[in-house]
Amino acid sequence: MDEPMVEMLGRIGIYAPLFLGAIGSILGCAAGGQAACGAMLDVEGGYGRLIGVSALPSSQTIYGIVVMLSMNGSYQIQAAPGMFAIGTLCGLALLFSGWFQGKCCASAIHATKSKPEVFGLSVAPAAIVEGFAVFAFVFALILAGGLPSAAGGS
Amino acid sequence: MQSYYTLIASLPQLPREFDDGPIPISAATLRHRVSMLDHHDRQIVQQVSDFFRWDRQPRDRSDVEIRETHRRLVAEIRHPLVAQVVHHRFEMRMLVAALRCQRGGLPPPVFPDLPLAVWIQRHWDEPCFRLNERFHWLARFCQAIEDHQPRRAQWHLFTELWNHWSRLNDQYNFSFESVVLYLARWEILHRWASQNEQRGRQRFNDLVDDILRTGGVNC
Repeated sequence: MDEPMVEMLGRIGIYAPLFLGAIGSILGCAAGGQAACGAMLDVEGGYGRLIGVSALPSSQTIYGIVVMLSMNGSYQIQAAPGMFAIGTLCGLALLFSGWFQGKCCASAIHATKSKPEVFGLSVAPAAIVEGFAVFAFVFALILAGGLPSAAGGS
Repeated sequence: MQSYYTLIASLPQLPREFDDGPIPISAATLRHRVSMLDHHDRQIVQQVSDFFRWDRQPRDRSDVEIRETHRRLVAEIRHPLVAQVVHHRFEMRMLVAALRCQRGGLPPPVFPDLPLAVWIQRHWDEPCFRLNERFHWLARFCQAIEDHQPRRAQWHLFTELWNHWSRLNDQYNFSFESVVLYLARWEILHRWASQNEQRGRQRFNDLVDDILRTGGVNC
């Protein structure tokens, strides 16, 4: 493969976690936010916590930023395929976790609306999904650290 | 891609059973909430509403007219769930009409074009048309008719509809199908509540008493 093409793959790998993580956050926060707006039409109080729950999928963008910055140091061309693989796959995990966490948040909002006492438990599925995003994030950092000349790498 | 999160979340929870408590949302508020839908979805909802309005028909409509309405609806309705809801409702209507004719010693009515019609005609002389296994509510419905308890018979019909649509609703989450099934179940609530005038009047008086007692109205 040509060197510019390989370099481009490396650049995609650097930006992918943020790009895909942000898409996940957009989809997730939109789903949760819309559900929160709908629920606010039907309840008389507790609006703040509805909006708070709907913002949970924002964290995927933050994880994406951190992974992107960790790989954005000076790197050798040999590291580009590895960066592409790690960045893209981590980004995909962040995208899906953000999207489906938003669905969990919407369900939590819907359940809380009719039964406020289940608020804490109803958020648990969203927290579990968040846990998987954290796994993808942490291991992306560890693997990126092992790439030649990547930040912290050998 | 149309999103239904806002609309679904804005609709109050329906009761577990249709005869369990008051209607949680008025017709006017429900219409207002449903206006969040886009034009295409509103048209489908309109089809559902028109069908339910027709379903509350006066009894002087002829069998041929009902058959024609069924044909027209089958040709018009494109949404699979709406078609399923209408089909299920027509099957129930057909069974009830056939039972009434059978008990009255009349010949079979003119049925809509449904596979069930052929079965009923084939088993016209048999009790419950040998459909007890397929339609579990039929025996209870027949018993209520025999006991001259039309309200109980209606309750069995509504219970079957309510359970069927609630089961279907479990398959959907924040989708247009959830909206359609919400409207279908709300219709049952409304029809059942409309039958109980005495209870409605009592509830209205209780509400007025509550407001006057708590000083909610300043004259």
